[in-house]
Amino acid sequence: MSATTVPTTTTAPTLWVRRPAGAKWAGWLRTVDHKEIGVLYMGMALLFFVFGGLTALTIRVQLAVPENHLVDPAIYDQIFTIHGVTMIFLVAIPVLVGFMNYMVPLMIGARDVAFPRLNALSFWLSFLGGLLVYFSFIAGGGPDAGWFAYPPLSGHTYSTGQGLDYYILGLAVNGAGTIVGAVNIAVTILLMRCPGMSISRLPLFVWMTLVTSFLILAAYPALSAALVMLFVDRHLGAHFFDANAGGDPLIWQHAFWFFGHPEVYIVILPAFGMISEVIPVFSGKPIFGYRFVAASSVAIGFLSMSVWAHHMFAVGMSDAENLFFSGASMLIAVPTGVKVLNWTATMIGGRLRFTTSMLWATGFIATFVMGGLTGVSLAIVPIDWFVTDSYYVVAHMHYVLFGGVVFGVFAGLYYWFPKMTGRLLSERLGKWHFWLTFVGFHMTFLPQHWLGIEGMARRMWTYPASTGWGTLNMLSSIGAGVMTIGTLIFVWNLLVSLRSGQLAGDDPWDAFTLEWTTSSPPVPENYLTVPVATSRRPLWDRKHPDMKDPS
Amino acid sequence: MTAAQARPAGRLSHAPLLGMALFIASESIFFMTIVVAFIALRPAGLATAKQELEFTKTLIFSLFLFASSGTMTIAERRRDRDGWVWLVVTGILGLVFLTGQGLEYVRLLSTGISPAAGMFGTTFFTLTGLHGLHVLVGLAAITGLTIASLARRGRVTAVGWETVAWYWHFVDGVWVVVFSVVYIGTLIG
Amino acid sequence: MRPPAEAIGALALIVTAIAFVIFLGVEAALLYSAWRFRASRVPGLAPQITGNRTLEIVWTGIPLLILVVVFVLMTGTMREIGTSVAGGSTPAQMKVLAVGAQWWWEYRYPTSGGDVIVANELHIPVNTPVDVDLETADVVHSFWVPEISGKTDMIPGKTNHLRLYAAHTGTYSGQCAEFCGVEHAWMRITVVADAQGDFDRWLQAQARPRGDASAGAQGEKVFMSNLCVSCHAIRGTDAKGEAGPDLTHVGGRTTLGAGVLTNTPQNMRAWLADPQKYKPGSLMPRVPLSDADLDALVTYLEGLK
Ligand code: HEA
Ligand code: HEA
Ligand code: HEC
Ligand code: CUA
Ligand SMILES: [Cu+2]
Repeated sequence: MSATTVPTTTTAPTLWVRRPAGAKWAGWLRTVDHKEIGVLYMGMALLFFVFGGLTALTIRVQLAVPENHLVDPAIYDQIFTIHGVTMIFLVAIPVLVGFMNYMVPLMIGARDVAFPRLNALSFWLSFLGGLLVYFSFIAGGGPDAGWFAYPPLSGHTYSTGQGLDYYILGLAVNGAGTIVGAVNIAVTILLMRCPGMSISRLPLFVWMTLVTSFLILAAYPALSAALVMLFVDRHLGAHFFDANAGGDPLIWQHAFWFFGHPEVYIVILPAFGMISEVIPVFSGKPIFGYRFVAASSVAIGFLSMSVWAHHMFAVGMSDAENLFFSGASMLIAVPTGVKVLNWTATMIGGRLRFTTSMLWATGFIATFVMGGLTGVSLAIVPIDWFVTDSYYVVAHMHYVLFGGVVFGVFAGLYYWFPKMTGRLLSERLGKWHFWLTFVGFHMTFLPQHWLGIEGMARRMWTYPASTGWGTLNMLSSIGAGVMTIGTLIFVWNLLVSLRSGQLAGDDPWDAFTLEWTTSSPPVPENYLTVPVATSRRPLWDRKHPDMKDPS
Repeated sequence: MTAAQARPAGRLSHAPLLGMALFIASESIFFMTIVVAFIALRPAGLATAKQELEFTKTLIFSLFLFASSGTMTIAERRRDRDGWVWLVVTGILGLVFLTGQGLEYVRLLSTGISPAAGMFGTTFFTLTGLHGLHVLVGLAAITGLTIASLARRGRVTAVGWETVAWYWHFVDGVWVVVFSVVYIGTLIG
Repeated sequence: MRPPAEAIGALALIVTAIAFVIFLGVEAALLYSAWRFRASRVPGLAPQITGNRTLEIVWTGIPLLILVVVFVLMTGTMREIGTSVAGGSTPAQMKVLAVGAQWWWEYRYPTSGGDVIVANELHIPVNTPVDVDLETADVVHSFWVPEISGKTDMIPGKTNHLRLYAAHTGTYSGQCAEFCGVEHAWMRITVVADAQGDFDRWLQAQARPRGDASAGAQGEKVFMSNLCVSCHAIRGTDAKGEAGPDLTHVGGRTTLGAGVLTNTPQNMRAWLADPQKYKPGSLMPRVPLSDADLDALVTYLEGLK
């Protein structure tokens, strides 16, 4: 109707969102705008990625040569614990939730999330939780029982410092934020879609965000409950996990993995979603098998709730239990395979533009397949008996977490950065970033498969020279160095492009979905007029009125 | 037409309710985890439970909580008239229940049953304590709603009332499960 | 029968082969399309294909079939390598109890004369299925000797079972695989597979209390008058401590500190002088001793064969 309801904005694109001229930095503390909160989440992830990365480098330096006494074992334990906790809870989740926050309302044509103030609360809880975990280092020592903190090692008898207390407190607060955030996003998707945006037209990123939100609601409370039990064990002298008093440490393992396994799909599904946006756009073609890609997410969601004990094949469960969890885990390969094959089929017969974003997406498929296949080998009980808790598992998890989640996030970031800032990331630096990271990644983690098979257990602060594991470890450490160079280039790219990147315009990629119809960065309430989804690819329809998307 | 004016008001006004439903689903899993732990560890604490739990007394106090779900429903129906009175009644019933819990805690603690004393103490205090905390949160919500409905007569929406009511019914429902597992389970076990 | 690790290896080989084919297939498709369909080779718009139901069914069905086959193969392997407790196909001919403790191992051989207790070095007869019962004295540990076994955790309050089978005589090394605290890394496992006769002789020797210690009488005195006695047991003496490894025949072991040092007189001396230097965090403290006492202790302990 009129533009007068839109506050005056600066004319040149500024960071993230067109903010009223003269807005202060303090605004970030008070903001309830979904885009700004999205950026806060991403900033949080970037901040903690520095720590997660530095701890990873410390691990690799320590393990580069055998019988290295550089890092004290007690410190090493804190380092790999905080590395795992940071990367999972304070990097992967926040960066993905950040993208959900920023992109979901835009993609469904809403002006914000359903509960903006609750949204701010979610962020601050998540962030506070992270700070609490890190506060342990100031308070006298970080948590040192691994990211899954098995009792009795994490109980008061064997872990006398306060590190585990901050772990419990921090993750509980962080988890509360994540749960509330998931409620918010789910309600937003279910109730705030613009006209025409039926469920079967939802962009796939939104689809997978929806499934992820439900998974968060189903999985996180189990972690909270486990943390409560650990807390009363540690502080009220309770005996949940105390075998001497009739308790059972396996209860923790079940509760933790009831959360922990869905957690890994919670982080991979949004990344799948990003890939499902990026690949069609740069293939110049709609996604192959939309319904199957969407439905397989739901299948993955359900299956992922019934596979948790594949992390516990070695604890001595009955054959029946082992077989059940093994079978269920293998089944997940089917819907995941459906996704992988549909992405590949989208590329075949397309018109492929290998922008940096598309490189990451292709690298994602190439790498994730391998992590997925090693995952299936781990789901086979006798094989797991052999390689569980070895570097083979470390390799698997980084292939899916780094080669999956992180590659996916980079694909999404290079894709949406111009929408968020109005400026393109440098493609030249981006390609350096990609290739260095890609090569460094495989160099780091490919050798770890062999280390695991040869008998190197994970979480060893050092290893005997007589084992002959030195060479592969050195190779792995050099790979981490290569990745570091790649990451530094990325940080440089980010800084330079924010200030002086090429102006992007509204639709730099010739894309398909609604978010590219508004300005870059979007106006405060996202759209000046309510957008209408004419199909799965509304923007395509506008550009090709003669061959509209049939959906 | 601006985006703000175009919000599909009908659907959106139900957002708090949907949000509450999802939150309740999530909370159910939280309690489910603790209840499963309780059941798994039950054999180790059963003897003490049989000896120490007072079934009838707790049943009576439970009736207050169950009744409060009824008064909550009445409050909702009469929200445009004297609903706030029924909210107060609901709150009082909830308080009576909590008092019962408190009395039971004091009695157990004075006989030396604590979370540290054995498996019964561990599981009993954790499960009922967590439920009690949720009742407290529910009471806070009811207090908030009472004040809001008095201060802004007729302007708290039906959805607002319903959202609080759902949470309260949930807290009540959890107690049905907890009571069955802890008290009835002990009786028949 | 073949060693469990070999049976697992055979299964893994099949799985790897299948995985490799799938892997190559996907990578080939990616590389092919990256080359064939790059923008510069495709004029105009790409054809707007939205999917193909038959294909979807095919690539849902085929993986499913593959997985069913893998599942069936897996159950076979599980039956083959299971312990007799877990319904394994071959009955065990020997049983031994392994107890994990922060950060060393105790093994108990049940014999008619009671349990024979040894530490940190497990001997088994070659070509014999051995069932190991697994328990822990403190936190969760995991027993893993890659060449001759899979791995199974040691869980408080629970006894687990693992089948060992060595096809050749010799020393096999392994590793505690579940993170169990600071010195998890140096919780190495040594398994020695002996010919049956050698094994029987070894076990008989281990069953005896400490032998003639006249050469180490001075060292024994030092041992008994220091803290050592409160943590270690030496059968045939007053030392009955349980916090550390049994030392009755420590001189005959190949390693010290669960694999951190090879057992030589120099290393023994170095270990006793400061265990924390080699195994920082170990539960054996540095006990201040004079040089003479150290020498006496080394002579004594190394004499306990
Ligand atoms: C993003 C995270 C992520 C993802 C997506 C996955 C995916 C899978 N994971 Fe993984 N996993 C982790 C993160 C992840 N994992 C982490 C962090 C750990 C370690 C935790 C810890 O201990 O610290 C772990 C550990 C782990 C274990 C326990 C190992 C152990 O500790 O002993 C197991 C065992 O079953 C397992 C299995 C699987 C399976 C079957 C999949 C499947 O979903 C994979 C499916 C995908 C494919 C199979 C590829 C594509 C499919 C096709 C091309 C179709 C054709 C395929 C076939 C016919 C096989 N994972
Ligand atoms: C998303 C999750 C994620 C990611 C991205 C990573 C990334 C990496 N991880 Fe991590 N890892 C885990 C999740 C993850 N990891 C988990 C869950 C565990 C299990 C923990 C446990 O056992 O409890 C684990 C464990 C783990 C181990 C096993 C430790 C052990 O068992 O003893 C190792 C060893 O090599 C390792 C290495 C690495 C390396 C080299 C990277 C690299 O890819 C990192 C690359 C990043 C950089 C190189 C960035 C460098 C930093 C900068 C450039 C910042 C500088 C900038 C400024 C100062 C402004 N990880
Ligand atoms: C507080 C308990 C404690 C005291 C005191 C103690 N030890 Fe130990 N000792 C241990 C523990 C625990 C280990 C296992 C260390 C490890 O491998 O982590 C050990 C290991 C050893 C070993 C290596 C055994 C093997 O099989 O690897 C020797 C030898 C030894 N101690 C001798 C001594 C002597 C001699 C003294 C006295 C000077 C002594 N200990 C005092 C607890 C103790
Ligand atoms: Cu014992 Cu690791
Ligand atoms: Cu899993």
